[in-house]
Amino acid sequence: MFELFIAMVKEEWRVHSTMFGSLSFALFPILIFWIAFMGSFLLPLMRKSLPSGELSLVLHANYLMLGFMVGAFGLLGSEVMNRRFGQASLLSYSARSLPLSERFIFANFVIKDTLYYFVLWVLPLALGFLLASPFISVPLTLPLLLSLTLTLSFLFGLCAVFFLSSIYSRSKPALAAILGILVIAAGTLAFLTGKNPAMFFPPLMLFNAFSWLNLILSLVAIVLLFSVSIWIFSPETSGTTKYYADMLTPVTRKLSFFPTPPLAAKDLIDMYRSGGMIGQTLFSFVIPLVVIWFFLSLLNGYLPSNGVLLEFALVTGVIASTMYTWLTMFDTFGAYSCLPVSVRTLIKSKIASFSVLQLIPAVFVAIVATLSGQVMYLIPAVVICLSVSFYCLGVTIWLTGLSPSVLVYNVKVMMTYLILIGIVLISLSAVAFASPFTSLGAVILFVPAVFFARLGFAKWEAAEQPGF
Amino acid sequence: MTTSVISATGLMKVYGDLTAVNRVNLTVEKGALFGLLGPNGSGKSTMIKMLTGQIRPTAGTATVLGLEVQQNPIGVRERVGIIPEQETPPSFLTATEYLQFVGAIRKIPDIRERAAWWFDFLDFKDKKDVLCKDLSRGTRQKLMFAQAFIHTPALALIDEPLINFDPIMQHVVKDYLTNYIKAGNTIFLSTHILEVAEEICSDFAILHKGNILHTGKVADLTAEHRHLDDFFLDLVQGNRNV
Repeated sequence: MFELFIAMVKEEWRVHSTMFGSLSFALFPILIFWIAFMGSFLLPLMRKSLPSGELSLVLHANYLMLGFMVGAFGLLGSEVMNRRFGQASLLSYSARSLPLSERFIFANFVIKDTLYYFVLWVLPLALGFLLASPFISVPLTLPLLLSLTLTLSFLFGLCAVFFLSSIYSRSKPALAAILGILVIAAGTLAFLTGKNPAMFFPPLMLFNAFSWLNLILSLVAIVLLFSVSIWIFSPETSGTTKYYADMLTPVTRKLSFFPTPPLAAKDLIDMYRSGGMIGQTLFSFVIPLVVIWFFLSLLNGYLPSNGVLLEFALVTGVIASTMYTWLTMFDTFGAYSCLPVSVRTLIKSKIASFSVLQLIPAVFVAIVATLSGQVMYLIPAVVICLSVSFYCLGVTIWLTGLSPSVLVYNVKVMMTYLILIGIVLISLSAVAFASPFTSLGAVILFVPAVFFARLGFAKWEAAEQPGF
Repeated sequence: MTTSVISATGLMKVYGDLTAVNRVNLTVEKGALFGLLGPNGSGKSTMIKMLTGQIRPTAGTATVLGLEVQQNPIGVRERVGIIPEQETPPSFLTATEYLQFVGAIRKIPDIRERAAWWFDFLDFKDKKDVLCKDLSRGTRQKLMFAQAFIHTPALALIDEPLINFDPIMQHVVKDYLTNYIKAGNTIFLSTHILEVAEEICSDFAILHKGNILHTGKVADLTAEHRHLDDFFLDLVQGNRNV
């Protein structure tokens, strides 16, 4: 029975190496190691301005989110893969033709993900920190503890998403009730203790104060989530067919001002029906930005009065550019292979849809400017945010075409991206700190944005598209 | 006088060490139901992809309906109908919406009426408001069939169009294809189901390991009292032995 586990590990590797290239993907843990090693030397400096507890909170939150995302991919995997590679089939689905129970397959899937992502994400980070620790006066036990608690955070996220999806498949009201109880519990905890409820996240508690009790608490929570998921896991689908009213015609009509209304309408319907719109806005946009705002606000004493807001607008712009991923997640050019649609037309349509989505960051930055009492800098902040977002989009299109997820694991592409974006962010930060209204000149970024996008059109028009 | 609607000269596709299609010369006349026959992996789907501008040939040229494919792939796809190797309608559109989408891209004014006709004709009206991802493979194949013919193209290039259909639907579709030819159109059909090819094709070519082994007319074989499957097996197995 060990064969299934080995085959699943191979499959995971091949999914990634097919998407991102074997060498580039193999270099990814080395990049994480290097960032962790070099980043560790910044810790003594960061400690002067940031409470170390907040740093560990963010690190654990990131690994929790990673677990969520990996778990969600496991559930949505076949759909995403079908769009990416044509008729792809994952072992977790195809093994149903073998004499194996669904629960056995599911258990293998969780163990495989845990080990695989431990090697990919946790181990390199812990090793980098471990090797740097003698130079920054950190006890060697700390990186070891961190590797344990980050693994537990990842597992927590993975099992939580399985748990919630298993509940969802059984009863939607039950899921709503559980989420409601969690929110009330967090609020009560914050009220009674006066502490950030995130500090009671078991792996973080373990990191902050190692004790066998905390370790057992973390393990029990994970095992409980996992066991309940397996117990209530129902492989049988309901069998009822869902029918949908025609949305394409009215949405296409509403988007008639777009260059290719049916393509834009399809993008919006994809996002809406896949449940991506709200989930993505919340998990990929609002929550990370709230965390970033919190951290930037800690730098208030070190930056000019307008600095935090404008720096935040810059970061929001970078994160807003990832909305392009939302539009390409379920789509490849292969789906259009039998229609008279060119790659250029398709990417242009994605840009148009992306432009509509930019209302979200624009409104978000405007709200933050208003709430933080810096309404006078609202216009520079929005201009910076949108200019950076479109510039990053141009670079992303040039580097990745219709597969922006390549950015995550292809080291060569990622380094080019980081350099091109880094230069702009540093320059713009300097201008914004010196004179906020001069930063209105950020609109000039639309020129390289168009330049890179055009390079991308030519590059991806000439390349053979996956899925064909 | 016959007119060629497809003309390929020295068409070749190489993937690394694999030559999927090897310098193929091929002509398909207007009004033919042309069957490209070959075992799995012989290069049939690659040929269709090159002829419709979905992939670029490594060498050679192809002309479809008078258009140079490499110069004008979008123009070719505007004029032809295509059923791809894999039935991949967009997951989150319903069957109705997908045909509306195709109609909007192809600028078909009476798409609603045409879609309704196809739902009736291929007997999947009850699935028209179901998301494509929730459709069975057979129903997806019906949808892909409908999208390929909904704009009544003069030429359709169809890759294994019958593979997911039940016998009743196979019969309906075969009738449709023969009538389509009678109306003056042309079909380029790729298949490895030889009975179907023998039943409906007028012309055929046998492709094996990227090479054309034979081109001819089904009627000529019939006149010699030979069956297409015997002829195919002799040729392919003989070639395999060589």
